[in-house]
Amino acid sequence: MVENEFNKRLLGVWSILVAISLAYLWIDHAATHLGIPTASTVVTVGAICFAVVKVRIIMREFMEVRTAPRVLRLLTDFWVLLMAAAMLGVYLAGKAVA
Amino acid sequence: MTTTERDVSRASGEGSSGHVPGGRDIWFFVLFESLVFTSYFCVYLFNRTQHEQAFLLGQSHLLLWLGVLETIVLLSSSWAVARCVQHARAGRFERARREAFLTAGFGLVFLILKIVEWVRLIHMGDTFTSSQFFQYYFFLTAIHCVHLLVGFVVLGVLVYQLSGEKRRSQVTVETCATYWHSVDFFWVLIFALLYVVR
Repeated sequence: MVENEFNKRLLGVWSILVAISLAYLWIDHAATHLGIPTASTVVTVGAICFAVVKVRIIMREFMEVRTAPRVLRLLTDFWVLLMAAAMLGVYLAGKAVA
Repeated sequence: MTTTERDVSRASGEGSSGHVPGGRDIWFFVLFESLVFTSYFCVYLFNRTQHEQAFLLGQSHLLLWLGVLETIVLLSSSWAVARCVQHARAGRFERARREAFLTAGFGLVFLILKIVEWVRLIHMGDTFTSSQFFQYYFFLTAIHCVHLLVGFVVLGVLVYQLSGEKRRSQVTVETCATYWHSVDFFWVLIFALLYVVR
């Protein structure tokens, strides 16, 4: 029973991660004009946010952080936020000075 | 707490097991590597904003569907190694070993797809020195591939551990799996930054 529960949960996690990956195809369609990609801050911020959400899901579920000690749960969440803040911050700062 | 009780607690997501998967050292490594990769990503994103049209032109040579396929293959390998950890924890070592081989199989498919993609681009004239975008593309995908190749060695250690009754250690199994998952999530970020951002 426990094995089935694990399998179901891991399958659910994998399905969500694949669905988010496939959603990128739709984003790409929305940011392409006549086959040529067009610049879009919304798409860039969205793509980074989606990727960071996927990283958190991988850490929590596949890497078993969900059931790890509180300190590791907080540390990994902080790390994911740090990575997102660094990437978005540098991107938006670059856009501002471009 | 018995193994079964711990499994039930983990499956239901109740509270904390007080157990760091794979031990502390691998997490120091994963978090350190995450910072190193984040610094690469920041340099790439900043440069991208300064030469937006040139980067978009380079990006138009990539096949997004191939990147999505590579991502799904690597996510599947992560799923397989997560199952491997569960089987090993429950004492089903033969099934754990099969999942480890499956993980390596998906990793190999990813590597083949990557090589096919590199060859296609090089034939189109997109090389490390052809443009700034492709300099970043080849650097990031190559450094990720180095991590993938190390991952194959790690999976070899995992299979070796699972094959001998006296060698089996759940901590080592979790350490190997944690490393492999990190290879997966580094790719998730690289894929979004190279193929999707605009």
